[in-house]
Amino acid sequence: MGSQMRMLVVGMLFLAPALLLADETLGEVASRVNPRLVKVYGSGGVKGLPGYGTGILVSADGYILTTANHLPDSSDLRVHLHDGTRLTAKVVASEPELDAALLKINDKHSPDGLPFFDIAQAAKTPTLIPGTGVLAFSNQFQIATRDEPMTVQRGVVAAVAQLYGRIGVFEAPYTGSVYVIDAITNNPGAAGGALTTRRGELVGLIGRELRNDQTQTWINYAIPVNATIAARGVAGRTLSLMELIEKKEAYRPSGRPDRAERSGQWNVRTGWTLVPAILDRTPPYIEEVEPASPAGRAGAKPDDLIVYIDGAPVPTISALYDILDKYRPGDKVQVEVRRLDRLHTLTVELEPVPKTPR
Amino acid sequence: MPARKGPMCGVSLLAVLGFAWSALPLQGADTRVAAEDAQRVETVSRISPSVVAVVTGGGSGVLISADGYALTNFHVVAGQGPALRCGLPDGNLYHAVLVGLDRIGDVALIKLLPRKPEQKFPFAVLGNSDLVKVGDWSLALGNPFMLATDFTPTVTFGMVSGVKRYQYPERGMFEYTDCIQSDTSINPGNSGGPLFNLKGELIGINGRGSFDKRGRVNSGVGYAISINQIKNFLGHLKAGLLVDHASLGAVVASSSEEEGARPRVLVSGLIPSDAERRGLQLGDELVRFGGRSVTTVNQFKNVLGLYPKGWRVPLAIRRERESGGADTRQMLVRLMGYERQEPEAPQPPKPVPGRPGQPMPPAAPKPSADSPALKLFEAKAGYANWHFNKMERDRLLANLKVRSDFSAKTGDWVMRSKAYLGEKGREGSAVFRWAAGTGATPDRMMALIDGIDFTLEPLKTDLSAQSLRDPPGSGGLLSALYQVRQLFQKGGSGFVGDTSHGGMEPYYPPQEKDPEDWSVVRIDTEVLRVALGGVESKLFFQPGAEGYLLVGLEATLDRDEDPCEIHFGDYRPVDGKLLPFRIQISHAGRPYCRLEVQSWDLK
Repeated sequence: MGSQMRMLVVGMLFLAPALLLADETLGEVASRVNPRLVKVYGSGGVKGLPGYGTGILVSADGYILTTANHLPDSSDLRVHLHDGTRLTAKVVASEPELDAALLKINDKHSPDGLPFFDIAQAAKTPTLIPGTGVLAFSNQFQIATRDEPMTVQRGVVAAVAQLYGRIGVFEAPYTGSVYVIDAITNNPGAAGGALTTRRGELVGLIGRELRNDQTQTWINYAIPVNATIAARGVAGRTLSLMELIEKKEAYRPSGRPDRAERSGQWNVRTGWTLVPAILDRTPPYIEEVEPASPAGRAGAKPDDLIVYIDGAPVPTISALYDILDKYRPGDKVQVEVRRLDRLHTLTVELEPVPKTPR
Repeated sequence: MPARKGPMCGVSLLAVLGFAWSALPLQGADTRVAAEDAQRVETVSRISPSVVAVVTGGGSGVLISADGYALTNFHVVAGQGPALRCGLPDGNLYHAVLVGLDRIGDVALIKLLPRKPEQKFPFAVLGNSDLVKVGDWSLALGNPFMLATDFTPTVTFGMVSGVKRYQYPERGMFEYTDCIQSDTSINPGNSGGPLFNLKGELIGINGRGSFDKRGRVNSGVGYAISINQIKNFLGHLKAGLLVDHASLGAVVASSSEEEGARPRVLVSGLIPSDAERRGLQLGDELVRFGGRSVTTVNQFKNVLGLYPKGWRVPLAIRRERESGGADTRQMLVRLMGYERQEPEAPQPPKPVPGRPGQPMPPAAPKPSADSPALKLFEAKAGYANWHFNKMERDRLLANLKVRSDFSAKTGDWVMRSKAYLGEKGREGSAVFRWAAGTGATPDRMMALIDGIDFTLEPLKTDLSAQSLRDPPGSGGLLSALYQVRQLFQKGGSGFVGDTSHGGMEPYYPPQEKDPEDWSVVRIDTEVLRVALGGVESKLFFQPGAEGYLLVGLEATLDRDEDPCEIHFGDYRPVDGKLLPFRIQISHAGRPYCRLEVQSWDLK
């Protein structure tokens, strides 16, 4: 207890100059932050998934950062500005690995001069130290409608840590470090809200409702705006919210499809064609092999059943896709196949998927 | 910071937060933080004694007067009967009695009985919840999980997350309008307890939270009923009433779904109501209501929820002209009731402060049938506690007698006056005669207005609708003035049925011209409800240190019609007591007549 406390105190003293400049009251900070946030309405309203959420304006012309949960997955996506103006929006890009989506207010209304958070600036803020006071802004529980201001809560960064939680039965899509907050911020509809410093500087994107599957406890977290995470299966490549906002598209290495287009495709070429995946549990039998391809050169044959890849069991075709998603062109993988009643080990050197018109 | 043993307790947590949050220059921060901490500790120790553990019902409450009145939630005391047991931080258990109930607003007023007759209770000072802002600190005190067996309240500390919040009713009850949202921990057992600002002023009564998947424990989102709303109902609650909330008589809706549109609130439906009679029309845009701008339906409901049924509230509307452009109009609207029928004594299902598997306050023993609280209780349909209504009514009538007691004047009364008739104030004369009945002759009320005779036998049972409303255009002036004499001469016994206290209401004396801001001319009055000869009246009294004055009367012949409204002013001595020398009569929003009294002749 004593040492923890000392650590907290030291942390706060260290941060003191940044924290203590302002003479603004928290209410003034809240009224400065609030216009930079929007209420988002999209899909949901069933199975405990709220049909409402929160977004952060990141440009004067109406780009909005929010969480890539079920909400934006709607053909009727709407946002309400802080003054109650009701507008439609569309998804510009969705980056599942950052669990973030970029929305844009319908160009028809050519909004301009909207207050916004400068993400490039915000990303320069050093990662907050545990013990730092923060404010959380969101439209949790849809308490506010139209021009009513967001809920603001105060908390302390309890930890900067990685998530090992689960949403229902799904893994948390985001694997980087998060701010764990000591307040109950991640309520229904809070996802996509803003975590700020005591002075209203944006530091995080409030995440989903997330329950620890072992302890049945709920975690309150936000993705730091300066988060940089390794792109899955592409060594050396990183992803960041800033890049998402600047490029206005999700990262797609050559052939790496969007999540929405992913089924049956992956970013490496093997040269085998599998049997049709009719059922969820269809086993990965090879139907055809192109001779001049990684699989052909490695000696794969039709009717081979792929059993292991680099020692990992491959029970279904979808599992095979998931595994291959983690590789990039040039990787050599050990593929064990069952042919009749014997196992054969093949070494397949993966190639990039040739660019072909869709 | 002193090292503390054991797990981090509430106090050390507060200290840490205080440290992290202080916006201070680095130098001297320690002393400033220490001073703030000391200030908070002082505040908590000052306000704690007023916090009530409502043992019956498993909730909390707060004392608001030295004679033991305390506020709590309706859902805490619902179904518990009129006699309650309450604990105070002095460690003692007290008897308490149910006084008034507001089941829509989820408020109950109870009264603790002193252990010794001279005992004065510590009480909380009521703050002004309109001044509460997002970002303010707040302290919730109460007895969550019924933790304290010695009734020492638990203190939680947090921030105001939102103000003027609207929360939909549950099962037609517990509509939280204009409430304060805070992230201060609110748990089962906190219900009915106080929310204070850091000055130690009572700003709200904690009663609800937003709960979802995590169970009915603190979710970081608690709601407190604003104390300013409760102030509007306090007169009703003290009068032992089952309080009804209000409706406008109009359905309102958010403006079209049109993209890019700013929010507006439009009238989309109307029922026969005062609002309709005052000129509200379909399609009107509500601009201001109760002095507050209204742009969303939530805001409209927030304002509506602040007022009891029957209150008059200023409403400003904007109406588009067919020729283009728009007009703004102001009106003073008398609110209708919220409940469809007269409330009965409540027997609602008890809302659960917890659910199975979660901490529940222990069940309290029922007070025995010989509880001293029962001496202060009388059941009556339409009232939470008729005993308190009678008490308040008799206090009001006693205060009236101080200044206007004419009980000795049992004969004829004559009032001669100049009359200024109609909207133009055409000059004339008027004589009124209250002819006292003797034996076979009934009481008669006579008037000679501008040369025309009117006579009414107010106690006759088969009066025509027309004679009740005489003189034409007045809405029933003779019926109403007859009641005035009954009041001045006989007090509460001059009427039939139950003369009752009607709580507190704002009263707006007639104005030459509608004011920009009605609140400037508003008078806070106590209301007496009387009935006689099929005419129900509300009498408005202006309280004063030297007794009460009758300032207004509204005589209603039919609830779907406008009442006859009479304003009494310019009180002067007559036979040693006070009578009005200016009487202004209006009906349906139009002046009928102004009387400048020349003489009162009382026999």
